[in-house]
Amino acid sequence: MKTIKIFDPALCCPTGVCGPSVDPELTRVASAIFILEKKGFPISRYNLANNPAAFVEHKEVNQVLHERGPDALPLVMLDGKVEKVGSYPSNEEFASWLGVDVKELTLEKPRNQLL
Amino acid sequence: MFQTFHPKYVVNTPYLFFTGKGGVGKTSTACATAVALADTGKKVLIVSTDPASNLQDVFDIEIGNDPVEVPSVPNLSACNIDPEESARQYREKVISPYRSALPESVVATMEEQLSGACTVEIAAFDEFSNLLTDQELISQYDHILFDTAPTGHTLRLLQLPTAWSSFLEESTHGASCLGPLSGLGEKKQMYSSTVKALSDPKMTTLILVTRPEPSSMLEAERASAELKEIGMENQVVIINGLLEKHIEEDRISKAFFDRQQSALAEMPARLKQVGMFAIPYVPFSLTGIGNLRHMFNSVTHSVEINEVELSEDRLHSLQDLVNDFAQRDMRIIFTMGKGGVGKTTIASAIAVGLAEKGIKVHLTTTDPAAHLDYAFQQKNAYNRLSISRLDPKKEVEAYKEAVLSQNKNQLNEEALAYLEEDLNSPCTEEIAVFQAFADIVEKSKDEVVVIDTAPTGHTLLLLNSAKSYHKEISRSTGTVSESVQNLLPKLRNPEETSVVIVTLPEATPVLEATRLRDDLKRASIEPQWWVINQSLYAQQTTDPILQSKAEAEKVWIKKVSEEIAEKTSIVPWQPEEKLGYDKMKDLINSSFSH
Repeated sequence: MKTIKIFDPALCCPTGVCGPSVDPELTRVASAIFILEKKGFPISRYNLANNPAAFVEHKEVNQVLHERGPDALPLVMLDGKVEKVGSYPSNEEFASWLGVDVKELTLEKPRNQLL
Repeated sequence: MFQTFHPKYVVNTPYLFFTGKGGVGKTSTACATAVALADTGKKVLIVSTDPASNLQDVFDIEIGNDPVEVPSVPNLSACNIDPEESARQYREKVISPYRSALPESVVATMEEQLSGACTVEIAAFDEFSNLLTDQELISQYDHILFDTAPTGHTLRLLQLPTAWSSFLEESTHGASCLGPLSGLGEKKQMYSSTVKALSDPKMTTLILVTRPEPSSMLEAERASAELKEIGMENQVVIINGLLEKHIEEDRISKAFFDRQQSALAEMPARLKQVGMFAIPYVPFSLTGIGNLRHMFNSVTHSVEINEVELSEDRLHSLQDLVNDFAQRDMRIIFTMGKGGVGKTTIASAIAVGLAEKGIKVHLTTTDPAAHLDYAFQQKNAYNRLSISRLDPKKEVEAYKEAVLSQNKNQLNEEALAYLEEDLNSPCTEEIAVFQAFADIVEKSKDEVVVIDTAPTGHTLLLLNSAKSYHKEISRSTGTVSESVQNLLPKLRNPEETSVVIVTLPEATPVLEATRLRDDLKRASIEPQWWVINQSLYAQQTTDPILQSKAEAEKVWIKKVSEEIAEKTSIVPWQPEEKLGYDKMKDLINSSFSH
């Protein structure tokens, strides 16, 4: 199974709402990750503001940060390699990496139990 | 008439929280209450959360984090906690290990995210909780007094079950406003017992301190309703600074008295339902135990002459400020200051001043009480001056609505409630209002724009980092609007934009304004002009109480004009409310009356 690690930029309210703009990307990504985790796929997420250690310990991430600065975030690692820089994985990417049907990554019933 | 406040009538709980707008006298009232209680033999602890706490001066001893006994008042102990300092320490603890390991630009984004108003609010709550759950400490006192109270936003957040659930812990959405305090799980117990104590009327009294003037009473009403809703129902209102007698023949004295009385007559309805007391106007500064003890026992007093030497050459009129802006061709002018200092009035006066010079001006105000449109429309100069009003509440509602409907289908109810509370954060309002400003500036390219509220440095930095962030991610739709993107570089340009800081000649407003200034500096914006509004020193009166107040202002006028501001304009206290075009002209030209 492929391991996915996501390195978020520093977020005050990662809901994005008390930040400068509301980013529906964050909600989409959060929902997709939630569903995948429930299916037993471990996905790690690190927020620069809360968990800066991860950005140092992962040498590849640290290197990209030194080269490109904060614009490199969000950054995605797939099996220990930097896969995406500056954007989150699309649902299609999640699906193909982990071998699931992309349809399963969107909630069919609104207000389904997320927690 | 109102019954004069005395602690013995109202204090019957171990915890007392004082709340109210900056400058209404929270700390003074809290100190005087503490001394009065200690004098009756109760064991009392007073806790100041003001970063510029003057408890040291009041009690004339060194006061730090841990309670110390006040030698001159048996039974009284005092301590200072500083939420901004604890927020700073927390920030430093998180960031410092990474200063060398991560590039500077990356560290800067971390720093900014941990600098929001939420971080400080939560840090303050954390400090309250540490004290209120320390059994060994609280068992030593009959009463613990705090000179400020947590906000409704903080308390509601802490009451949401979601804040404690895995929603947060597993970083599904990450941190939220609570995020800045890591290890939240461990603190859950402590925070919930604090919230419980706060909402227990047998444990906690909320004392709403207000001045007898409309804006501070509105603020008190808002706080009262908000905190009642989350369970702090044991409330008392103190009207601080009520002028009891006046000199009928003295224009200023009579106007001062009349304005207070009419403000009281128009008191917000919901505030009337709360038990109410008054404290007479005391012009002396509350340093020294003697003065504190006098606060609740009206005494006659003589005018205290202040030894401050003030250089009046450094004090300009508003006209000088307007001339300066006109000459340098400023395009965007913001006024900035805490509520109640007269930002809207000053912004309106600047707009009128510029229009009088033949400049096309657009004035935007967020103050619902500014009935400017009507008053301005009757003038010929109207074709040079246009006005729009912006309702922050509506902007925030629209913003909230947009966010919630966007996410409704993806989140369950609990998660939505959580998102909604995040939307109540003070940062959200600023962002929403700023977006609206940006649209206005965009539309009025050929006019000078005067706006009565400036964004904070935190907001500007967030918007700015978002701009560069989104540049890279074209497919994200959560971008900063184009008008905001256009506005940001303009704001940084001192040739185009000026921020005017408005303050009152009193301790707390000056300190608060200084903090606003420092925050703007982080965003590389340096306000040049300060306006000292509503100065009795710049007015002339024979009323001894008001004369004493005028004397007490000198130290703050000196501080602003000689230490802090590059240029200072002073506006005398006005015997009547300035509404309308011609009255604004008076205001611009008014300078010293003596």
